[in-house]
Formats: sequence, structure tokens, C-alpha cells
Amino acid sequence: MSKILKLLRREYRASVRTKGFIIGLALAPILMSGSLIAMALFRGKVDTSDRWIAVVDHSNEVAGVILAAAEARNDQVVYDKEKDKKVKSAYFIEIIDPDTLNPAMLRLQLSDRVRSRDLHAFVEIGSGVLSPQANPEEARITYHAENAAIDEVRGWLSGQINNYLRHVRLTRAGIEEDAVGEMLTWLPVESMGLISRDEETGQVQEAERSSEMEAVLTPIFTMFLMFIMVMMGAVPLLNAVMEEKTQRIAEVILGSVRPFQFMMGKLLGGVAVSLTGLSVYAVLGGIVVYRLDLADKLPLNVLPWIYAYAVLMIFMLGGGLAALGAVCNDAKDAQNLTMPAILPAMIPMFLLVPIIEAPNSAFATTLSLFPPFTPMLMLLRMSAFETIPLWQPWVGLLGVLLFALISVWLGGRIFRVAILMQGQPPKLSLILRWAFRG
Amino acid sequence: MNTVEIRNVTKTFGDVVAVDDLSLDVPQGSIYGFIGPNGAGKTTTLRMIMNIFYPDSGTIHVFGNRLQGACTDAIGYLPEERGLYKKMKVRELLRFYGELKNGRDLKREVNRWLEKLSLLEWADKKVDTLSKGMSQKVQFIATIVSNPDLIILDEPFTGLDPVNADVIREVVLELQARGTTVIFSTHDMNMAERMCDFIFMIYKGRKVLDGTLTDIQNEYGSDTLRVRAEDGVPALQNLAGVEKVTDFGQLQELRITQGHDPQQILAAMMANTRITSFEVAKPSLHDIFVRIAGPEAEEKSRVENT
Repeated sequence: MSKILKLLRREYRASVRTKGFIIGLALAPILMSGSLIAMALFRGKVDTSDRWIAVVDHSNEVAGVILAAAEARNDQVVYDKEKDKKVKSAYFIEIIDPDTLNPAMLRLQLSDRVRSRDLHAFVEIGSGVLSPQANPEEARITYHAENAAIDEVRGWLSGQINNYLRHVRLTRAGIEEDAVGEMLTWLPVESMGLISRDEETGQVQEAERSSEMEAVLTPIFTMFLMFIMVMMGAVPLLNAVMEEKTQRIAEVILGSVRPFQFMMGKLLGGVAVSLTGLSVYAVLGGIVVYRLDLADKLPLNVLPWIYAYAVLMIFMLGGGLAALGAVCNDAKDAQNLTMPAILPAMIPMFLLVPIIEAPNSAFATTLSLFPPFTPMLMLLRMSAFETIPLWQPWVGLLGVLLFALISVWLGGRIFRVAILMQGQPPKLSLILRWAFRG
Repeated sequence: MNTVEIRNVTKTFGDVVAVDDLSLDVPQGSIYGFIGPNGAGKTTTLRMIMNIFYPDSGTIHVFGNRLQGACTDAIGYLPEERGLYKKMKVRELLRFYGELKNGRDLKREVNRWLEKLSLLEWADKKVDTLSKGMSQKVQFIATIVSNPDLIILDEPFTGLDPVNADVIREVVLELQARGTTVIFSTHDMNMAERMCDFIFMIYKGRKVLDGTLTDIQNEYGSDTLRVRAEDGVPALQNLAGVEKVTDFGQLQELRITQGHDPQQILAAMMANTRITSFEVAKPSLHDIFVRIAGPEAEEKSRVENT
């Protein structure tokens, strides 16, 4: 067995045999998709405390309607009668007479009541709400609360007030609302996939509904998966090499192998660790997909590309990270250098939304062909709902391959010199000198 | 036949010349001691023999082959700073280090050495549970487990208690008896005197001594008097023909100026105090070391340069 393989084996065992690896394997996807899981877990766990809402109605038209609507809502939806359980907040309306002399003072008093939790919110309805186009300023409806922008009560009030105002406006115009109901019906535009032909039967197949999972979750999941692979296989190299340097293990190893063999053994170990993680996720993911019958919804053709890009990305980043580990003298140096070193894996995360929205835009195409970003962004585009030209993943792969070779070559030059240098601070000028002059 | 041949090797780090035009032959089967003050260039020389550092100029041949980028598996290396993977088990670690040297029959060899160095019961313990002395013995086994023909030991006795130091010394001598060449650096002059066939001293990157202990001592001649004076050092001061008096408590060592008769000096001493022991001797390696690298030599060198 070659010395590189012996180093790989030790590196792999040292990583995979630890409890940390198993825990990390389990926790990484949970942490990465924590918000999604939390939303799913806590769906329905709503705050059911009562809401007291003050209504200041300058139009003298709406307050009573809101009061009646709130009472009706409290009767109908607040309690689940079957389970005998309160499932939603009850809304209690307090009608306040407008203060025409000093409206600002009234608003301040009501705001103070909200701050002291005596009220949940107050709403002020302008005097001209029935004729908003005649005098828009008088037609304003304002909702005041501590979290007004994301408060569900605001949405409920908006619906109640506008439904009533529409009804009044139609009645005053002499139109029966029931007669024009169909005129006011709102129809959604459904999202559907493209039509395809069944390869076996030749029949044209019906398009399927394009789900959020296909459009958004799958690309995000693919990208997170790549990020986890980098964190699992490449990032630990920096600390591992730094420790081997500072604990003088490197000198013992270099008594038996050449620096490049040493670095390659570690890099391949990182790749093996990543591929183990990836395979575990692929198998578990496969079971979930099979159980939930989601195979048709997922771009499974991307899976081999994930393996190819993951391997090259570990080489590309790992070469640099191992070299930087050799430059570091202590944990603080390692901490300082980790963040810039993993920027190629971090920056694509910030570009996620614009690229999912338009995977074939010039912006997305150009960035995904820039080798440091290619593994994550190309896979993001390939997992998105639009089809990208076939040549792009191949060109991207070639670019990453070249970049990985350059990274490993330069990394090896830095590694060779730096691994035995004690006490030299990791300055950029020094790193560049080692990289290009040896 | 020489196991190591170094010819006109120079190695610099930036502006510092670590090793300057060094030539050295290490005969096969010998124990060669490298001595010199800290920072003199010992470790750099050893690392160049190991091919960890490459010389700026000059050549190094090991087993008759020029070192050109490739590491040789026939060299065992114990670095000055011990480096062991703390989370690995002792047996597993030794096999790994042996495998990196392409060692044969490693399972048996590991067990044999663990037993010989009384570490068998620690074989399945993690390295970070070992004491410092045990770790050092494990590191020593890692150096020899692949049965190398040349062993390079950088400060092998540092930090070892006398019992463990004796164990390592005995193993080194046993390996030499089997034909293994041993190079070791040390600050322990007594150990160097007792163990080494040849002694090499490097000072400020340059070779200042090289040869057998007898050859080296002969260069300095019998210029040392070891005496026991009842009134100690005060009674030995300001004697004609005495360059320096060193007090060892129970014993005083006098360095005499060339051309002076030890008998006349003895007579002068006896006029001052009672002398209970008197010996005309060659200088010890310790004394020679201090003469070359001590403060006096530093001062002399400074004066000569100004």
C-alpha cells in the first residue's frame, strides 16, 4: 500500500471513528435546516391569549361592524368544540370616541395602554374611507401595535373593514352584491411543470403541479448538502494540520514521507470522510424519497454530479486549508484564517435567492462558471426547476478540476516550507512568497 | 564504508547561516555524537540527513545514495520535540509509524519492543494517558520498530529518569552491536564520552571538533590538573602557570598554561594548602565544550573581531 493510502487510512479512521463524526452527521442537517424543521414542528403552536383592540372610527361606519365580526369570530373559531380546547386568540373590541380637538394626545394615551399590555393594538379609521379617491388622506386606516408589520390581527381587520366598505359602496350605487359576486371572484394562476413524453409508451404525459419543494427546497437542500460536505471534509484539515505542526507530529511524519505525500494523504482522507457523509445522506434520503413516493419530484440525475463536485471541491478548498494549517502557529491563527478560507463555500449561500429565481440569467451563469463558486452554484442551478444547457456542468467541472490542481500544487509548495516553520506569523506576503518561490 | 557522507553542505534561513560548509563522514556501525550549544546547527544537520530540509549547496549521501527528494525508509528518526497522535492507541500508533517506513513483521516487532521497554500493558491505551517518560519510550520504539540501518536520535535522553535513560542506552548499544549506525545529538557530555565512537561538535554552523574522544583530547594535551585542596578554591588562586580554576565542590580543576610543569604548580599549591588528591589529566569533553562555546570563548572571539 502506498504511503499516501496509509496516511489516508489513518486520517479517515481518526475522523470517522469519533463520536463527534456521528453526532455531526446527525446534527448538521438539523442545524442547517433548523428553521424549516422548527416551522414544521411548531406549526399550530400558536399564542391563544386574548387580544384587546381599540377602534377609533372617524367615519362612524365601521366600528360596529368590527365589533360584530369579532364576536362572531369568537363564537366560531376560537374554541375547538370537539376537543374542548381553545385554539385561537379571541378578539375583544373597545370602541373609542375620536378626539377631534387633540387626536395626537388620544393616540399617545392608546399607545401607552398598548405598552402597558392593557391593549394589544388600536386601529384608527379615517373619516373618508367610503370615498377614498375623493380624499385619500381622510381615507387612511392605521394600525398601531408593537409588532404591527407582522401582526395577524392587522390582516383580519383589513379583510373585515374592506369587505364591509365594498358592500356599502355597492349598495349605495344601487347594486346587489350577490348579483356581482362572480365579477369579483379572484382566480389564482397555478404553477405547473412542463409536459413530457413517456419514454416507454410514447404517450404525452400530463404536466404535474410544480411544488415549492421542487422549486425551492430541492436546490436549497443540494446547496446545504455541499456546504456540509465542505465543513466535514475540508475545514477540519486546517486545524488538523495546525495541530500536527504545533505538536511536532509533522516532523516525525516527514521523516518517512515527502511533504506532498503528507498533504495528499490528508486531503484524500478529507475526501473519504466527505463521501462517507454524502453516502449516508444519500441512502437515508433515498429511503425517505421511496417512502414518501417523491422520486418523480426530485432531480435524481444531479446525484452523480454532487459526488463529482464534492470530491473536487474538497481538493480545491482542502489544498488551501491544509496549506494555511501549516502556516498557523496556534489555534488563534487557525481561527483567523478559517473564515477567509471558506469564503468560496460561504458566498454562494448569499446568492441563493437570485439564482433560484433565475437560474439561466447571465448573472447566475457567469458566477456558476467561476471555479471557486462552481460546485455549489452549478449544483444549485441544476437542481432548480429550469433546465440549464448541458455543456455548462461539464465546463464547470473542467474549471474546478483545473482550479483544484492549481490549489493543490500551490498548497503543496506552501505546506512543504511552512510545516516546519515555528513562530513565523502567517503574513500574506510570506504565504505568497512560499507559494510562488518555494 | 561510510553510512553518511556530507560534503560542503551549507544551509541558510534568511540571513542566518545555520550550517556553513560542513563535511562529515559517519562510518557504518558507529555511534556518532553530535554536540554543540543550542542553535549551533545540530538539528538542521540532522534534518538535512533526514531529507526534511534540503541543503542550499553541497551534497549528502546516505548508504552511498545521494538524497534527492526521496525519503529513505532505512533511517529511523527521533526528533528533538516528540510528536505523537494523542488520541491513537499505543499499538495502533506504532504500527502506523512502522508502516510509513515500510517495516516488516510489524505486529511481532511492536509487541517485542513494547515488552522490552515494559510498555506492553499500555499497548491498548491512548497516548494521552501516558506519562512523559512513557511517551518518550513510545517515540523511541516508533523510531526503531521498522529495524532501520541508520538511527538518528535528536536529544534522546532529555527528560528521562536515570532508569529509563539506561534502558534506552542499552537498546542503542544493542542495535549498534547488530550493525546499526547511530547518530545522536546530546547536551549530556558524560553520555557522549561514554557512548560515542566519534564526536562531532558544531558551533555557529561550523564544524569545530570531529574525531574520537581520544583524538580530540590529544589535540588539547594533558593540560588539566584535578586536585582536592583542603582550603578549596581560595588557596588555588593566582598561581603562576594556572589559566583557570573551576570549582566542583569536592574537586577543583585547573587548566595549566602550555609549557608549565605540573610538579611546580603542585609545589606552589602545597605551599598554600594541604592537597589530598592530585591528577594530571586530559580535559573532559565538558571542558572542551566550554572552552569552545563558553563565555570566555565568546569574549575572545568578540575582541578578535573588533
